Order: sequence, then C-alpha cells, then structure tokens
Amino acid sequence: MARSIRLAAVVIMVAAVAVTGCAKKKRITDESTITGAGATGTEESLTNEGGSLGRYKRGLGPEEDGVLKDIHFAYDSYELDGSARDVLAANAEWLKENRRARTEIEGHCDERGTVEYNLALGAKRAKAVKDYLVSLGIASERLSTISYGEELPLCRDASEQCFARNRRVHFVPPSE
Amino acid sequence: MGDARARIGSGAVVGALLVALGAFAVPADVARAQVRGTIVGPGATSYPIAVSPLKSTSGAERAAGAFADIVAKDLDLSGLFRVIDRGAYIENAQTSGVTADTIDFRDWSTIGAQALVKGTVEREGEGLVVEARLFDVVEGKQIGGKRYRGNDDELRRIAHRFADEIMALLTGERGPFESRIAFASRRRGRFKEIYTMSLDGGDLRAVTRDGSIALAPSWSPDGRSLLFTSFASGNPSLFASDLGGDKRLISSRRGLNLGGRWSPGGRAIAVALESGGATDIALLDPDGQVMHFVTKDRGIDVSPSWSPDGQSIVFCSDRGGGPQIYVVSAQGGTPRRVTFEGSYNTSPAWSPKGDRIAYASRIGGRFQVFTVSVGGGDVKRITSTRGDNEDPSWSPDGRYLIFSSTRDGSGAIYLSDAAGTRQTRLTPSGGDDSSPAWSRWLE
Repeated sequence: MARSIRLAAVVIMVAAVAVTGCAKKKRITDESTITGAGATGTEESLTNEGGSLGRYKRGLGPEEDGVLKDIHFAYDSYELDGSARDVLAANAEWLKENRRARTEIEGHCDERGTVEYNLALGAKRAKAVKDYLVSLGIASERLSTISYGEELPLCRDASEQCFARNRRVHFVPPSE
Repeated sequence: MGDARARIGSGAVVGALLVALGAFAVPADVARAQVRGTIVGPGATSYPIAVSPLKSTSGAERAAGAFADIVAKDLDLSGLFRVIDRGAYIENAQTSGVTADTIDFRDWSTIGAQALVKGTVEREGEGLVVEARLFDVVEGKQIGGKRYRGNDDELRRIAHRFADEIMALLTGERGPFESRIAFASRRRGRFKEIYTMSLDGGDLRAVTRDGSIALAPSWSPDGRSLLFTSFASGNPSLFASDLGGDKRLISSRRGLNLGGRWSPGGRAIAVALESGGATDIALLDPDGQVMHFVTKDRGIDVSPSWSPDGQSIVFCSDRGGGPQIYVVSAQGGTPRRVTFEGSYNTSPAWSPKGDRIAYASRIGGRFQVFTVSVGGGDVKRITSTRGDNEDPSWSPDGRYLIFSSTRDGSGAIYLSDAAGTRQTRLTPSGGDDSSPAWSRWLE
C-alpha cells in the first residue's frame, strides 16, 4: 500500500478511518512520501488502533490492563520491582502460550516533570520491560516499544494515587 | 494561511520602509539622562506614561485607537511603566498638535504623566503611514520619533516595534515585543496542537491541526518557522513548519525525535534522539541527516538549548543519578555539570545575553523556575507558587522569561521579568497550555 501523497492527505485519511469506524484492530501501515518545500522524506504511519494513541484519536481514554497486565513504577524510576517482575512473568507465560502474538509496550509517566524528560523516561520504562521479557525468552521481534511520556494519562487529578496509576507500562492488546 | 505568508513576506517591507525621522533627531542625551534615573529595569518603580490615540485622517480611524491600545498593553506588560488611563486625558487627540511646539504639556503633567506618546496615522493607497513620537513631559521635548509604512495587517507589528523603540529610548535597550510566542495547547479540543501568538495574547494562529499529539515547539532564528515533535503518524517525529502550517518532515527515526532547536546561525538542529531506550543529543543538518552525536551514553539526555555564540549546548541528563543540568561543547566531549542544588533539575534555556541559564527544579514535590550563572553559581529562584512552573524561555532581549504554570489550575503561559519581581498571566487558564517558546526579534 505504498502511496505518494501529501501528509495532509494522510492525516485526513487516517482521521476518516477512525471516524467511519471501519478499521479492524490491526496496524495501519500506509507508507507515505511527504513533499514539502526543499526536502522530501518518508514516514511510515505506525498508529496502532488498539493502542493508547489510537484510542485517544477516537475519543477514548487509555485502557488500563488487558490480557497483559500493566506494571507500575516509582517516581522518576524505570526500575522493575518485585511485583513488576511477577506481573511480567505472567505476561511472558501468556506470550509463550500465544506464540504468534505481538504487542507494543507503551511507556507512560505522571504529570510531574517536563514533557521532554518524561518522554525519554517513558522510553526507558518501555525498554526495561522489553529487556526483561526478552530475558524470559520472548523474541524481541514480537515486542515493539513507544513512549507517550505524560501525554496520555489514565487520570488527571493531582493526587499521589493518580500519579501512581499513570506511572505505568501498558501492553497494547496483542495481535497476530 | 495565505495571510500568514503575505504577512511574513512583507515583514521585510516594513523594515525597509522604516525611516527614522531625521528631522526629529533625538535631542536625546539630555532627555535620556533625565528618565534613566527613574527606569533601571523591570520591577523598579514604574514610570508614568500617557499613550494618546493617534491623530487620524479619513479611513484610518480604527488604526488610530488600535495602535495606542497595543503600545499601551506592551508598556504595561514590560513592568517598567504605569500607563495612565485614557479616560483621564485632557487633550483631544483629533484636534491637538503632535509636535513639541504644538502640545500643551501642562495638560499631561497635570494628570501625572512624565512621558507621552502621540502621533498620526494616514491612509496612503492601500496601506497606512504611522508617525509616532515619544515626548518628555517634564522637559517639554521630543525624545524620539519614527515613521512606519505598512498594510493594515502589519499595524500590530508596527505598534510592537514602536513599543520596543520606546524601551530603547528610555532604558538604552530595545524592548522584546516585536516577537512571537509558540506553545502547545489543548484549548480547542482534546488534541494537543501548536499555536503562536503575540506576547500581548493577540493574533493567535494554529500551526498544527494534526488531531494527535504535537509538542515542544521552538523557533528558527529568523522567526519564520518552527520545529516541533508530532505523533501525527504514530512515531514521535520532528517536523518543521512555517507559521501557516505548511510542514515538512525533518527526522522520523524509530523512537523519539524530540525537542529540536536551531543553532543561532541556522546551520544545525540540536535534537534528542532515542534508540533502544537511551536518549542522546545529536546535531542534524537542515535536512535531518545526523551530523554527529554530541552525547552518547545509556541514560537520558534531553532538552538541548544553544549558547548564543553557537559553541555550546546546555541540556538535561540523568547521568549522575537524577536529572541535572549540564553544558557541553557543540562538538561533543565531556559535559560539565551546572546545577548542584535540588535533586531534579530540567528544561534548561540559555539566555540570549549568554550569562545565565533558566531551568525548572523540583522543590517540595512541585516544580519552580530558577536561573543559575553559566559557571554554576548564583542560583536565583524566580517562582514560588502552588502548582508546577516549567519550561522557561527567554525574551529576545534577555530581560524577561515566559514559562508554563498550573498555579491558577490548568496550564497557562506566564511572563516574568528575569528577577521574578512581577509575574503576569498571558493566556487564559483552562486551555492546558504548555512548553512556551519565545522567538528572537522577528526579521
């Protein structure tokens, strides 16, 4: 489905897919060439309909848990504590039983700290989770990562309870 | 969008046609010395000034009041002036004179004005001719005057330029108002988009309509385009856009392509690139090709900001444990740590004067804006409010800062003088505004 169209057209098309709801729960992989003054480049559309960004574009809040459970972190940390490792062990078992399933690992942060640092911190969280799953025997090709930093919170009140919910790694519902 | 391009394009015309009115040549040193004793910097005792509507000929009436409104708002925002309410003015703007020998300065000293702005606006073909003058009321003398030609769309810019001129005449340094602010906001719905506006909150323009997440805008040195990161295609990629929203992809490496900042000379873009969880500072050429990595390690390096000479970059790194501010040569090498107070220091911005770095620091669980000397000492706290104060950005003249704050609830953009004395909210609360970036002076 390689196309050579202006970015604006791609955006409109993606939006139209979202609005008409005809999209299946699978990855959109339109490759588009962006033409702009002075330079060209290619950008693959990675919007994952089942992921937090895909849901957000459709007016839905991010999902909490799923068949693969979320894991949580301390403030400004990407370390996996004991309970995180337990959850990841169970997630790894599910991925071993469903050998063709792929998932995207989303790193998220609470609102404290700046937008840019939190995006980098979310990437660290996602990578720490991916590395641990790989160490448990899951092929890295089945696991992609993305960080949304503090952009897609589960809740927006300034309470420690809410901050703790938002400091998470979420797994996009697996697809085959 | 067509408007935006015309406006940008003809900006140069304003510049070319700007003529200092030689006939009024500033009898300046006397007058300047007179007022300099009063105005020492933002936060000092404010200086009473009257800004009269311009005297207008047929077809320019609207411009006459609009010019005065914009100049008055800028002077108020500067913190240097107390603009006397127009209702108190005795002289009729349409019937009174606009030169030192035809103004009755007693009408202005009576209401407490020490300085006075008067002038004329006339239609000339499709455009406007504005003559604006600044008077010393006490001495009864003109301090300076300018004539500007431009179309109606450029009136705002002409007014901002004259406000900057008033500050130059009275403080010896050009003001910061002929500039724009870019920021990210959810003011028009749930999506975070990039907008620009004048410092006075006027002339709001949407740059992105991605319907996704767009963030971390920054300006090209000439103020004609922006860099920002957008998730429009799923991956957080770096884009450049003109102010009308015509955008081009700069960098779309898998992972973060974050926080691009043009070098002062416009030859390189400093950006944070993430690969395998590690985020490093790289320099890209204007087409997005990596020239070299400035930092390379396993940790987080983000938020680059250039020194005004383009030789060094300040950034935030967790290499020492928590996030702290470091300075490194733009060529690479070993970074030097700048912040030692506080356990979480982030989002540095190098002053255009070169001497200080503004940043956000976590204290008592929330974030406040601080500045520190480039050498690492002399830490000054700028904000002390509830909520979070983040992402400071300097004015082109280095005398002011803007930053985001949640002190009044949802994020809004605030202006402060560099000492933190007077802080003013620039955008309405409730729009979830963040990541403000102040342009250099517009060309």
